[in-house]
Amino acid sequence: MAVTPAQTPPPPYLGRSARIVGPVANVDMNQTPHPKNSRGELGKALFNWYRNTISRDPLTRVSAPNHFADQRNFLAAVVNQAPKGQVNARQVPVPDPAVMTRHIKAVAHHMGADVVTVARAHPSFLYAPSTPPAGARDVYQNRSSDVYQGRTPEQMAERYPYIIVATTAWDYDKLQAHRHYIGDAAYHVSQMKAQLILKALEGYIKELGYAALRGMSNPQAAGLASGVGELGRNGLLIHRKFGARIHMPDPIMTDLPLVPDQPVDNGVEDFCKICRKCAINCPTNSVPFGDKVVFNGVEKYKINWLTCYKVRPYMDTHWGSCLTCATVCPFTKPNVWWRSLTVWALSTCPIPARPLLVRALKAIDDRFWGTTRQTRVRWLGYDSGIKPGEQACTVAGCTAEHGPAHAAEPVGNIGYYAPLKENTNRFVKRDA
Amino acid sequence: MALRRHDPYWDFFINAPPADRANSVLDVIRKTPEGNVFPTRADLHTPEVTASHVKEMARYLGADLVGITELENDDAGHPFAVVCLVRADHDPREALGIGGQVPVQNGLFVTFVLSAWIRELGYRASVTTSLDGARLAAAAKLGTLDRAGMLVTAKYGTRIHVADVVRTDLPLTAA
Repeated sequence: MAVTPAQTPPPPYLGRSARIVGPVANVDMNQTPHPKNSRGELGKALFNWYRNTISRDPLTRVSAPNHFADQRNFLAAVVNQAPKGQVNARQVPVPDPAVMTRHIKAVAHHMGADVVTVARAHPSFLYAPSTPPAGARDVYQNRSSDVYQGRTPEQMAERYPYIIVATTAWDYDKLQAHRHYIGDAAYHVSQMKAQLILKALEGYIKELGYAALRGMSNPQAAGLASGVGELGRNGLLIHRKFGARIHMPDPIMTDLPLVPDQPVDNGVEDFCKICRKCAINCPTNSVPFGDKVVFNGVEKYKINWLTCYKVRPYMDTHWGSCLTCATVCPFTKPNVWWRSLTVWALSTCPIPARPLLVRALKAIDDRFWGTTRQTRVRWLGYDSGIKPGEQACTVAGCTAEHGPAHAAEPVGNIGYYAPLKENTNRFVKRDA
Repeated sequence: MALRRHDPYWDFFINAPPADRANSVLDVIRKTPEGNVFPTRADLHTPEVTASHVKEMARYLGADLVGITELENDDAGHPFAVVCLVRADHDPREALGIGGQVPVQNGLFVTFVLSAWIRELGYRASVTTSLDGARLAAAAKLGTLDRAGMLVTAKYGTRIHVADVVRTDLPLTAA
């Protein structure tokens, strides 16, 4: 944890939602939640959940970054553990960075990315150089052997001045069945796709004759600086079109000449001040009700990652990824015209008048989408109206024999959510 | 597309074969050994419903057209073949650049995850390059073969890439 020295460039503007107010220590990737857990530092229950459990759901076993029965059935592991290619010796000349920026964005979209932006690299975005080359790495991310090559973050940001953030969005309809295997599928499948796209994009940049480094930059910082979205109360980047339902996988740091994008203002900052829907719905009260705090030199809403993390082993038989804060966020809506109109209205509204508009929009959101999500989703053999693990037949007019394990008729059109907020309130304290 | 016509690098992206094969993700996915079949079989519905689930899963993973056909005299004894088709702006057999191979990449994503999912359901499934995908796609009524043996579909014409065929013993119905 080296505090960045005085010769660092001035702090970058990250938009209205997060502000660098002091010295930022480069985050040691080995101190982030998953590596901590894989070393057993978060206790036995979490360690066993992370390392020693196999999911009972076949789709989770092929799409989640852990809980697989056989790693060879998990595509992201195959892709990320592949040997790295060489940088092409015949470099393609780039006389106009703007043309190349358009090209790289078109390439990423052609490969299937939903969001592509370019950030100007800043030393504070980078992970700490103390990260050992083959150390315990986050399995969600690229197992890269890219290292700092003996340079400081400042030298790295100067040598590789751009960070390409390319990512995918989760499927909206399936996300409605969050805290269920259906919501997990929306999350995990698009995550695998993003890993594949980034790996291919990384290879293509090397073919152009430029460096492409993974495992270097904090994706959220690069996402904020390049205008992927604004940082919400739930600690997630909130995108103009997709809301909170976008992944933030490991971005690509490069020396390819590009034109960086700027931070955006979608009105998230004004919305989060008033809304608190994620904080109210979070089953572990990990999302703050209070104001922003300064953490590691950045003024932002700070979630309690430990309580967020700790509920997972207890919910292992029901789901893998909670996603409640992303699903209930009023910005998480289908990407259609009324949504574009609303975000346009909010982002063009003068800032002093925004609280009034936000209150109106929040009232509409509560009226039509509910203060909590209670949607029942049926997909393949899954039915979020039935407790996972119980057999569910979702075929209309089915007359097949299902045996005694078949679930009783579900009541109403309400999804099955575990844990319910009223149950976790008993043992999770609110921080404000 | 207008944007792509004015893009001086687009031809390189589509047509220039990679100088280092390791910069393409195709080989590594194809060469990965197949995972285990999960020892406990999942409860399945009728073959008709299972077939609809397999097709829906393939579409969710990004296939544009999916068909199932019966295999006769398969060397590994798999009774069914699942054929996934993805749209291809450029024929991957001619456009050898990383961009020209994107349909292959998308097809591999579908077939890898689909076959892995079937194995996790407790049934055998393997991705194979040895079968004639276009002929099986025609047998699955996804399109017809023209004189040159190219698959022509009603929706996309010949601008389609037949992904590697998934052979499986999952109880399905051909259609």
